[in-house]
Amino acid sequence: MAGVSVAAEWQLLYNRYYRKPELYQMEWKQVDLTRNKIACAPFGGPIAVIRDDAKIVQLYAESALRKLRIFTSSGRLTAETVWRNPGGRLIGMSWTDDLTLACITQDGTVYSYNIHAELLGTFSLGKECFENSVVECLFWGNGVVCITEAFEILAVPDFKMPKTVKLADCSLEELPHCMAVIEPQYTKSGDVEVLLGVGDHVLLVDEDGVQPLADGIGPLQKMVLSRKGEFVASFTHDGRLLVMSSDFSKEFIDYTCESALPPDQLAWCGSDTVLLYWDDMLLMVGPYDEPVRYIYDDPVILIPECDGVRILSNTNMEFLHRVPDSTVSIFQIGSTSPPALLYDALEHFDRRSAKAVENLRLIRTSLPEAVESCIDAAGYEFDISQQRTLLRAASYGQTFSSHFRRDSIREMCQMLRVLNDVRHVDVGIPLSLQQYKLLTPSVLINRLINAHKHLLALRISEYLGLSQEVVIMHWTCTKISASTAIPDATLLQILLDKLKICKGISYAAVAAHADKSGRRKLAAMLVEHEPRSSKQIPLLLSIGEENSALVKATESGDTDLVYLVMFHIWKKRPPLEFFSTIQARPLARDLFVKYARCYKHEFLKDFFLSTGQLQEVAYLLWKESWELAKDPRAKGSSLGPRIKLIEKASNLFAESKEHMFESKAAEEHAKLLRIQRELEVSTKQAIFLDSSVSDTIRTCIVLGNHRAANKVRAEFKVSDKRWYWLKCFALATIRDWDALEKFSKEKRPPIGYRPFVEACVDAGEKDEALKYVPKLSDPRERAEAYAKIGMAKEAADAASQSKDGELLGRLRQSFSQNAGGSSIFDTLRDRLTFQSLS
Amino acid sequence: MSQIPNLENAPINLTEIRTRAQTELLNILRDIKGDKCLVIDPKLSGALSLLVQSSELKENGAELRHLTAEPIQTERTKVVFLVRAQPDLMRFICSTIHNDTSKGLHREYYLYFVPRRLVSCENVLAEEKVRELLNIGEFSLYMLPLDEDVLSFELDLTEKECLVEGDETAFWNIAKAIHNLEFSCGVIPNVRAKGKGAARVADILTRMQTEEPVNTSNMGIPLPEINTLVLLDREVDMITPMLTQLTYEGLIDEFLGVKNGAVELDASIMGNQQEGKKAKVPLNSSDKLFRETRDLNFEVVVQVLRQKATSMKQDYTEISTTTQTVSELKDFVKKLNSLPEMTRHINLAQHLTTFTSKSIFAERLDMEQTLVEAQSYDICFDYIEELLCKQEPLEKVLRLLILFSITNSGLPKKHFDYLRRELLISYGPEHINTLDSLEKAGLLRKQDSRGNWLTIKRALQLLVEDTDTTNPNDISYVFSGYAPLSIRLVQHAIRSGWRSLEEILKLLPGPQLETKRGGFSSIPSYDTLPGSLNSSEKLANGRRDLVLVVFVGGVTFAEISALRFLSSQEGMAYDLIIGITKVVNGRTLIETFISDWDK
Repeated sequence: MAGVSVAAEWQLLYNRYYRKPELYQMEWKQVDLTRNKIACAPFGGPIAVIRDDAKIVQLYAESALRKLRIFTSSGRLTAETVWRNPGGRLIGMSWTDDLTLACITQDGTVYSYNIHAELLGTFSLGKECFENSVVECLFWGNGVVCITEAFEILAVPDFKMPKTVKLADCSLEELPHCMAVIEPQYTKSGDVEVLLGVGDHVLLVDEDGVQPLADGIGPLQKMVLSRKGEFVASFTHDGRLLVMSSDFSKEFIDYTCESALPPDQLAWCGSDTVLLYWDDMLLMVGPYDEPVRYIYDDPVILIPECDGVRILSNTNMEFLHRVPDSTVSIFQIGSTSPPALLYDALEHFDRRSAKAVENLRLIRTSLPEAVESCIDAAGYEFDISQQRTLLRAASYGQTFSSHFRRDSIREMCQMLRVLNDVRHVDVGIPLSLQQYKLLTPSVLINRLINAHKHLLALRISEYLGLSQEVVIMHWTCTKISASTAIPDATLLQILLDKLKICKGISYAAVAAHADKSGRRKLAAMLVEHEPRSSKQIPLLLSIGEENSALVKATESGDTDLVYLVMFHIWKKRPPLEFFSTIQARPLARDLFVKYARCYKHEFLKDFFLSTGQLQEVAYLLWKESWELAKDPRAKGSSLGPRIKLIEKASNLFAESKEHMFESKAAEEHAKLLRIQRELEVSTKQAIFLDSSVSDTIRTCIVLGNHRAANKVRAEFKVSDKRWYWLKCFALATIRDWDALEKFSKEKRPPIGYRPFVEACVDAGEKDEALKYVPKLSDPRERAEAYAKIGMAKEAADAASQSKDGELLGRLRQSFSQNAGGSSIFDTLRDRLTFQSLS
Repeated sequence: MSQIPNLENAPINLTEIRTRAQTELLNILRDIKGDKCLVIDPKLSGALSLLVQSSELKENGAELRHLTAEPIQTERTKVVFLVRAQPDLMRFICSTIHNDTSKGLHREYYLYFVPRRLVSCENVLAEEKVRELLNIGEFSLYMLPLDEDVLSFELDLTEKECLVEGDETAFWNIAKAIHNLEFSCGVIPNVRAKGKGAARVADILTRMQTEEPVNTSNMGIPLPEINTLVLLDREVDMITPMLTQLTYEGLIDEFLGVKNGAVELDASIMGNQQEGKKAKVPLNSSDKLFRETRDLNFEVVVQVLRQKATSMKQDYTEISTTTQTVSELKDFVKKLNSLPEMTRHINLAQHLTTFTSKSIFAERLDMEQTLVEAQSYDICFDYIEELLCKQEPLEKVLRLLILFSITNSGLPKKHFDYLRRELLISYGPEHINTLDSLEKAGLLRKQDSRGNWLTIKRALQLLVEDTDTTNPNDISYVFSGYAPLSIRLVQHAIRSGWRSLEEILKLLPGPQLETKRGGFSSIPSYDTLPGSLNSSEKLANGRRDLVLVVFVGGVTFAEISALRFLSSQEGMAYDLIIGITKVVNGRTLIETFISDWDK
């Protein structure tokens, strides 16, 4: 019922169909696979071609120089370069996971090329290879294993970190018949393991040791591991294909081939069949039943993929893979499955035949599965019109099906659009849907960028809703590198046009690239556009724009950035220049001062001196003198240095009129220190230094040294007011009430008797206070004094004398409140005695 | 009761902010396997106590120490420093490491900066040659909820730092904290700022939005949860913190000092008989009685407590004398649950009255009133002079002296020099440094222009006569008659923006700024729906618009109370959240200015 032609191209192996649609007619001319060494990258990656120097080939109309050429999978030449590398014959070459071409020569040098055939770098596998040439090498995703003429086995586990590891010595006497590698990610130890077919057994070699396996299996001629390293396919000397678990403990396939001649190529197709290729025949062996045979007149190369094998010949590329179940159900000859009927219904519908409805009625209950199958099958198609028909069938079925995930069709269309775009012969990446999912869209975009297909990458990321930043960023950097001839201003405009597409892109990163490419001026212009100061400023510093960096840092308000710039300038410029730079920027200056106060005292002094802030220097000196006193080592030492510092400070203050007060204060401080030292000497008590004038006087009085107290009073012209307060309180402290009374009678106190009253009240001496209260001249003061010592009646009398009604009221209130206030709380407490209940 | 406040009633999701910080901290500890010694910057320990229980730190193998000048003594082989990114703290870290090295001890050192690593700190470490020995990381704690309406930026930002040293680090951190908040709450569309630091924060915030935009386009147009941001610099109003706070919480702070939502006092005061032991009393909204009384004038608190006690006493009498139904008994038992709270606050309040009943307290309030009225210069001068002579505690004198200087726009040269010298004579010559700092900060200065305090006071109605503290109708109740200038400004900013106030704002220090922001207008493809920001529409879903009021450089409890009062007013269309750098009072604020020569 369904298209007979589709299924006619399938081959049946046991119960599974296989097909090999053509992906491309190769665009290249005159590339002969037999004459060349070829390296094909998986995931539809590029193909590297170089003339094989191990073979004797006839040169036609071509240069004797060998060229390394890079093609897309569609055979389009993208880059070429002349191979002039020393180091002997090219032993092997292969693409790594990130599409770097690693080429290994006889002397163990690894040359890395990018897909533009530009040499990225070289490194050596070590002197063992130099002394004993490399004979064979075997690559995997990101590493390589080599074997030398001396039968040593070396490995580079990761090309990103070019370090060679020597595997355990397995004392070989001849080259192994064959070799296979278990990638580090699939081994238990996490290190690379190598299988060697030696004699009639296999050796498992890693860094630490050698382990014999499969004893007596007979000499193995060829060996290849499945993608995840769980199975090994091997070809024995007697012409059998063996598929076993990779520890050789279980056997899955044992098929005897017609020829005992080992095949040229042995490869896995997906994970359930193995391909063997001899001269003109490709044999596909599965676990059951007779193998499938394909005849090839031309030489081919097998490129294993996760879901099949690409077959490259001189003229075309095919993709051999299993026909998915959904496709089988639709196109299998005579299929009446629901998907097939749905597909058929669409055909009737297109022909306006009523049979369409009949079909739909037949499959009504299983319509959703039918739709799903059509969508699924579309995903496996490489032919665009076939995709379209299948999707139309799905869409047609969907209109009659209410419960169906509507997004499925849209999602499939989206993926197919992307796939069709990259499969286009101009791009030449023939990804299958499964490969695409495994590779992930972002890696695909990176590959496109890498191949300089920026526009397509940009469109795809936009279409898939991925960040366009990566694409724009790469484009910009590539553009800068490629535009040495374009003047800065013009180039800037071109770049800005594109950069603005992407909000939040790092202009600083672009600028950094411009700087690295030797375009400092362009870098400076670009970095102007960076909105994030935290990115902008470090870059400005690295391109030597310190002043601009300082301005921006100050504006940003981020003091961390200011410090960053400041330290940078500090290190770079001579002090005087540094000072004048930061002096012009208040924030920078203040931060410097703050930092220097903690850690760079002397340098700070220099700064203040050079910027004419003498008073600040004076403060620093004064503080230093204070610190000298605190230093425990300075105990008992002479005051000389301290006083000298203070006097120096005083002089510096005196330099400007505004600081006369400070200057005098410093002078007085020096004087005070001298007097205190004298007092300490005369009283033999070290209790004076660094106290205030008031405290010094008080101490004198407390010690009973009234003469000294008077002297200090005179020296500092202490006012009467202070003197009376001081002396009254000092005498009250030592409770010398007689002296206090004597003092009150010395002469009529110029500021009245209040100090006497307060001193006594504070000391709690009611009786002493009463001596002076009546002498208070102001009745109001008297009233309050009485109040303070709790004589309510006298207080009230005095208050009434003052005729101050407000005062009287206030006193009365305060009396009642005080009494009431405390009693209130006492009663509250009593009332709450039932607390114990809770 | 835990010191970690309950945040369920917060107007925005503060629990999430706290949980994020908790997780980050615990992950830091978990990532460093095994036993370790956690060395905490003492200034951070308060913040940590609002975040995790110390038992939880111990469960993660951490032994706790404070970072001091003394090298750390520990048996542990892993040492984790958790410090604010302050260059001067690096010295302590270096000394520990040098000490270990000199003894031949090899430990693993981890250094976590809060909230982020700074090159200035790393530079010190590099110069001391310990940089290589440290594994450096960050604990990005920019913000921490103190209570359901208070967010702390966890900055020990001192006025001295901004006004004297010109260090702007804190401004950046505040902006960063607000910007982080915007990532979960949307871009705040209206910003009003007054004062140098506040304007700078607004400026940096705008920059951050350009550098690292809050993505408004992903989920359609998320309505910003916060409608307006008011940023106020402490320098604008240095009067208010100099005055003695008269609210309950404010008064506790004035006399006992509240630290990270708790007050520590002698256990005996709290009715505990153990002599000499300290008791820690948590103070936050989780305590219902405190929630009810914290913002009241203290006079009223006393009355409230008395009423409650009396009614409980009555209930008790009824219970014991008459027969009750079971449900009545149940009600009574329920009430009994609040007994511990009652007892706690009665004890606290009684302790406070021992201070407030002193005549010196009344005298001081009188003098503060006189200073703010600014009508009797000589009385003030004499009073301050006398305080100096009597060598009253320096910060008490400075509070009044600063009030005196500000209300008079500085002091006449003669008095300026005279009082400064008197101060040196009383407290020692090293206080030349204190004077220098205060002068640079503009808090104590020479008169150079005619005063404008009277104009400001009158225009903003700062002095309100006949304030009813029991049933207040104005914020002036928090100082029994003085309405805090800062909150008056906020009141205007919320109601009508700065425009109506321009003339007065010019008389106050620092620039003012009013901007409209929004990721909305900058993305043309997502046109703002007309009216989508209309406040009335959102009122419909039962929630009032939110205003975030941020104080740059310290705020007093009285001011917070005044804001809560504003928010509780019926005519008010907004809920308020308060962002603070730290809680201050006159004493703590001035302490930072006092000479550090001794340290």
